[in-house]
Amino acid sequence: MSTERIIQAADLSFILGSLRNLQSDIGTVSGQVESVGQDLSHTRAELSRLEQSFADFVASDLKAKELALAETRQVKIRQELETTYGYYAVVRRQATGILQAADISLVRQETLRGATEELMLSAPRYWLAPALVALAAWIGDNKALADRALAEAVRRDDEKTSLFFALIARRAGRSEANRTWLDRYFGLQNPYQLDRQTVVMIDAMANGVFGADVSRHCGNRISAWIDELSQKAGFVEAQRTQWSNALLSKAPHDDHSDRYSHLARFSPAWQALNNALNGVAMHAAVLAHFQGVFQGEIKPAGSVLIAVDDLLTKLVTRFDDEELPLRRKEELCSLIIEEDGDKRTAQSRYDLQSKAFDEQVDFTQLLTNAAMHPESSHATRATQRFAIAHSRDWIVDAHEDVAARARMKVPAKIEVAIEDWSGNTVKGENEKELLGSLQSHLQKRESDALALVKLGGKHWTGLVFGVVLLFMSFSSGMITLVMGAACLTWVYFGYRNLTTVRAKIKADYARLQEQSAQALRACMAEAVELRRDITARDAVALEVTALLKGISPDQHVLSSHDAVRRVIVNG
Amino acid sequence: MARSILGTNSGTQTLLRSPNPANTSKLSHQAVQALLRQKRSKKYMDVVTQLDAGGHLGGKQSIDSLMEAIREELPDITVDALPLGIVSKCYLGPPYEVHTLDLSGSIIHHYKVGEGLPHLMERARTLAVHPIYAFIEVYSTKLIAVSANGQTAFIES
Repeated sequence: MSTERIIQAADLSFILGSLRNLQSDIGTVSGQVESVGQDLSHTRAELSRLEQSFADFVASDLKAKELALAETRQVKIRQELETTYGYYAVVRRQATGILQAADISLVRQETLRGATEELMLSAPRYWLAPALVALAAWIGDNKALADRALAEAVRRDDEKTSLFFALIARRAGRSEANRTWLDRYFGLQNPYQLDRQTVVMIDAMANGVFGADVSRHCGNRISAWIDELSQKAGFVEAQRTQWSNALLSKAPHDDHSDRYSHLARFSPAWQALNNALNGVAMHAAVLAHFQGVFQGEIKPAGSVLIAVDDLLTKLVTRFDDEELPLRRKEELCSLIIEEDGDKRTAQSRYDLQSKAFDEQVDFTQLLTNAAMHPESSHATRATQRFAIAHSRDWIVDAHEDVAARARMKVPAKIEVAIEDWSGNTVKGENEKELLGSLQSHLQKRESDALALVKLGGKHWTGLVFGVVLLFMSFSSGMITLVMGAACLTWVYFGYRNLTTVRAKIKADYARLQEQSAQALRACMAEAVELRRDITARDAVALEVTALLKGISPDQHVLSSHDAVRRVIVNG
Repeated sequence: MARSILGTNSGTQTLLRSPNPANTSKLSHQAVQALLRQKRSKKYMDVVTQLDAGGHLGGKQSIDSLMEAIREELPDITVDALPLGIVSKCYLGPPYEVHTLDLSGSIIHHYKVGEGLPHLMERARTLAVHPIYAFIEVYSTKLIAVSANGQTAFIES
């Protein structure tokens, strides 16, 4: 035993020593691993920094290259523009000067004519050059030259020339010329794709900027557009759907439960009734909207006059279609330079600008937006009138559809449910019959409840037990007598309680009868009122139809127009 | 934007005659809708609204003239697109409320208050009793409510 201990002690000390060494080695290795780990995370951080720096370098290099490329391209494009279209810029500059000179009559006619003829020679393809020659000839009363120059300008760009002279004629107060050119301009338009300048012109026409006579004449052109659009398969149906939705958007979403509190509480169909009320209330909202548009006098909005003058400025200062591809490339280069070579940001800015520039609308979309959503389409009240007048037939049809749908949604019968009784009424005409039905239903319930009030099994057992105990008391003595008497007394009190319960049930049902009858009467009265309300609100539909049918496109163009000319400034 | 006269960049499409004879013999859905939308003629209105004059069960003569009036009113509409029936207020007085004309069987039937109408006709009942409508044309997928002046209103189901 002692030998074993010595061996064990010797073995243990060796093992312990080895373990200590091992522990120390493990500690060393652990320290080294930790150090390697630190090195690794340090390296990782460095690598990440390096990666970031590399990415930054690549990005900035790319940006620098894009910037340099954009600058080089811009110079090249500008040189090309200068070489090919340099004279166009000269024409535009002079055009502004000529318009100013014509406005304030400061330049002699010979000078004007000389300047414009020189322009004609220097810009052989540009429409504005012969247009200016024609303008100068017109001012100088040289009809033959004006006609020749006009023919050339129209040949080069009919649309722009027509718009230019329509605007010039308006400034000069020549309504006959204005009418001819404006009609020609509108005649060239595609009603499926109207651009911004045509929208401005339509707005101006509706506001009477061109005078009543001109507007009426061009109104025929607008009517022809509508006829043309109506020929397209499915177009008219699409219009009616569009207008139905626009009219429905005016329907209120009120809760009428305050006014019809009993029906709201006792009719399971209350939600349908509330919706039906809101459905027919739409007519009043639509009537108010249209009356708001058509009542009162309106003056031409100043903003429209400014927009028309700006249109002339833009027409003579904006780049020609021919130079647009190069101008757009130049614009993109400028944006890249502005964004310090960030091509992606520059491209998104460019796309946004192009979208606004190229925006085109369908004529009927223009009418619907102007008529029903003036706040988002920035339409003036005159344009609203114009749009509604031209869409009148579609609105009338759409209103008929919407009105019929609203009428169909009015429940034919009003269900009333009080307690577990229910009945129907159309307009509260069967009050007596329903009261009788409710009363007999509650009476039956009362009888059923009273029938349940009787002595139970325990009472009958107590009675039998009491009687038996009483008989037993003759032989068993006082205790049995007392127990028998107690049983019978308990049964007696139970019996007497039945009368109290019966009386309570009768009283409860009498109260229920009274309250239910009152509730039913109130429901009937509200049903009468509700039907009257629905009929009155529905009748407004006829007023809407009458108002719409009384509108004609001819009546709704403003007759007044401005007498003041703004002197054109450099654009 | 100026319209392109000769180019193809126009928003409109030129409809050419279709080589398929089936397309020429049958009107498109939109064309049928447009025809059904049209205001009803006075003659047609008179014939339909005088149905009650035929007596309680509807005289054969009045039914025939009504069928004729429908064919005249909607001549380009194929049989499958014609109304299935007509529902209108009954002027026979209480207890009758509405009457129906089933065009497939050419039968006039008068219904009392609370008496159920055939499935497709029942949905037209509310509108038929409305004072503003002269009668309701019942189609498989829609109702057309016709006012006394012939104005139509579509209720798609």
